[in-house]
Amino acid sequence: MTAMYHRLPVSAYTSQDWFDREQALIFSRSWRYAGLAEDVPEPGHYIAVQAGLNNLFIVMGRDRRLRAFHNICRHRGTQLIRAVGKSQKALTCPYHDWTYDLEGNLVSVPDEAREYPGGLDKSCLGLKPASVDIWRGMLFVHPDPRAPGLAEWFGAVDPHLGPHKSDQLAEYPEARQTYEIKANWKIVVENYIDVYHLSHLHANTLHMYDHAKAEYGWKGPHYHFWEPPSAAYAKDLEKNLPTPRVIPQPHTGTWVPMLFPGIGIGASEDSWNLFIITPLGPKLTRVENRTKLASASEWEFSKQAWSSQGFWKNFGGPKYSGSDASGEDDPMASGDFTAEDIYACEQQQKSLQSPYFEVGPAAAGESPVIRHQQAVLDFLAAQETPAP
Amino acid sequence: MSGFHSLTVAGIQQEAGGSATSVTFDLPPALAETFRWQAGQHLPVRFETGGREYRRCYSISSPPGAPLRITVKRVKGGVVSNRISDSLAPGSTVEAMPPAGRFVLAPAALARRTHYFFAAGSGITPLFAMIRAVLDHEPHSAAHLIYGNRSARGIIFREELEALAAAFPDRFTLRHVLSSPRLWSGFTPWRSGRITRDAISAAFAGTPPVAQDVQYWICGPGTMNAGIRKALMELDVPAGRIRMESFGLSSPSGSTGPAGVAATASVTVNGSRREIPVAAGQTLLEAALASGLTPPHSCQSGVCGACRARLTSGRVEMRAQMALSSSEVEQGDILTCQSLAETSELAVVYKD
Repeated sequence: MTAMYHRLPVSAYTSQDWFDREQALIFSRSWRYAGLAEDVPEPGHYIAVQAGLNNLFIVMGRDRRLRAFHNICRHRGTQLIRAVGKSQKALTCPYHDWTYDLEGNLVSVPDEAREYPGGLDKSCLGLKPASVDIWRGMLFVHPDPRAPGLAEWFGAVDPHLGPHKSDQLAEYPEARQTYEIKANWKIVVENYIDVYHLSHLHANTLHMYDHAKAEYGWKGPHYHFWEPPSAAYAKDLEKNLPTPRVIPQPHTGTWVPMLFPGIGIGASEDSWNLFIITPLGPKLTRVENRTKLASASEWEFSKQAWSSQGFWKNFGGPKYSGSDASGEDDPMASGDFTAEDIYACEQQQKSLQSPYFEVGPAAAGESPVIRHQQAVLDFLAAQETPAP
Repeated sequence: MSGFHSLTVAGIQQEAGGSATSVTFDLPPALAETFRWQAGQHLPVRFETGGREYRRCYSISSPPGAPLRITVKRVKGGVVSNRISDSLAPGSTVEAMPPAGRFVLAPAALARRTHYFFAAGSGITPLFAMIRAVLDHEPHSAAHLIYGNRSARGIIFREELEALAAAFPDRFTLRHVLSSPRLWSGFTPWRSGRITRDAISAAFAGTPPVAQDVQYWICGPGTMNAGIRKALMELDVPAGRIRMESFGLSSPSGSTGPAGVAATASVTVNGSRREIPVAAGQTLLEAALASGLTPPHSCQSGVCGACRARLTSGRVEMRAQMALSSSEVEQGDILTCQSLAETSELAVVYKD
């Protein structure tokens, strides 16, 4: 009998087959986060991004409209551009100098008459277009140029994501980081949306919010979550916020949605954070964090830091301490909720290998975990159903 | 159902200090379906004065769902525009055909687009309907208007546009460009001069597209349209994203327009072919009507495209061809109401 992990077989978390299927059918056929809008700030700037099996790039024209193309030279397939950069008007493949304009048209082939004595129809050799759009200050790409738009994809969940105008906030570069977790991407997602664990794994790290009052639900494959500040935090909230407000009063609380597939946002009264989950292998996942704060003066930040230090001085602490901790670098003794999450994900992944693994009953606060598994199954089924 | 219907005027509003007039009609429920329109379309109207019939097309300046309203710029010496401005009153009737035109913005609830609008003078009228349609019926989209006028006094819909900018601060921006701003008018435009490439580039930098499905809509005199189109293309805008409509024929018959030669034309209407004479200076449509043929036609101003036909031999010169796309012109489509013979023999076929 197939070992199950609620709705999915355990192999969905461990096997190369499942990983390949998800890469082809989920991550290559959905809108992928590609960065922040300010990553492509001026005409001629571009970035490349891996979206499942596709490498795409985004470039801005002088009309400040973004174009997205498959990063594949139409000659021998060489990737045209690397990472990030700036070009003038044209994109030239390094291999044989085939050159494309910003609309993806092949405009020049060196020694064309000599190398192609039979002629070459350049009009059929334009770069393959993809879709790109900006939503809530984030860049999104889709490999299909005719993909349904973002209003269709995120429209229903959008009203549940908080009043933040992330395009008007300023990135806090020190918080930008990328790290790997030795676990399947779905383990990382499920940890993010497990409401039950908040009061336990993070008993001493996230208790400025009131988990008992969390409101959460789904709009299609997208999960939304909000919870209010705890009584202690809410008393003198304006004083207790560590950095200046990013949303107008009287909005309070924290919005922590998980958009499909693996696009986490964590937004509160005073910050807006991204938690982008990218599968690297069946048991390896990359997480990218970026943070935006109020676009305010240093003075405003200092003022808020002083006023809130009384609250934060005695806030939080490690889950384990003293002899319970295994050592100085025990994540359970870190007092850092990210370290706690990584630890929990990796410990869980290890057990999935065991023939004795048998999943226990899901708690009410774990209903999102099961719902996400269903979202994965539904998306795969829709992709595997031949179009009518 | 085509043909003319009598519409009753519900209200008259002078715009921009009397330089234009808005006429609102009372549409009886029985005609609501016939007169359903899309933002950007125009209303063909007919007036009789001094025993002569005049046909005109005026842009509808209200979005679908609002009362039907046209806005007419007063043209110096213009028979119809002055009659509308001076003698129409609530209760008057106007002969009108159902709305027509292919310069159309169809809003979609789930579309997510950035629309840039470029208007000059009374070119605002169809664009105003489009902007309202986007703001009311395309909630995920934004609209940016760059609006050229000579001076602040002549700005049609100035207050209505300012009210929209205040009501939709995240979705609508308004930029005035004045070619002859008056120093003491108390009105500071965004820029002085014309809507140049630099101005357009500055507007894009100031309000870059957020939604990346970007559309460009131009309505003004033909020369301005061509200039803006050229500037947009120099800024990497693909031609397929630009839509435009001209107004204000720069050469009404007689002045500097084409003269035409006398010719014999083979004209096919409804599948039956006839040879008819065409006088020098006479349009093919006029010649066909004079010979008793009944080809389709409506506005007689080269705007609506109803009199479109395919030229199968010979050459014509068109006074205006704004109702045709360049690919249609290449294929040989002509507007017979604007076409004068250039060769002494020609053949045209009206498609059904």
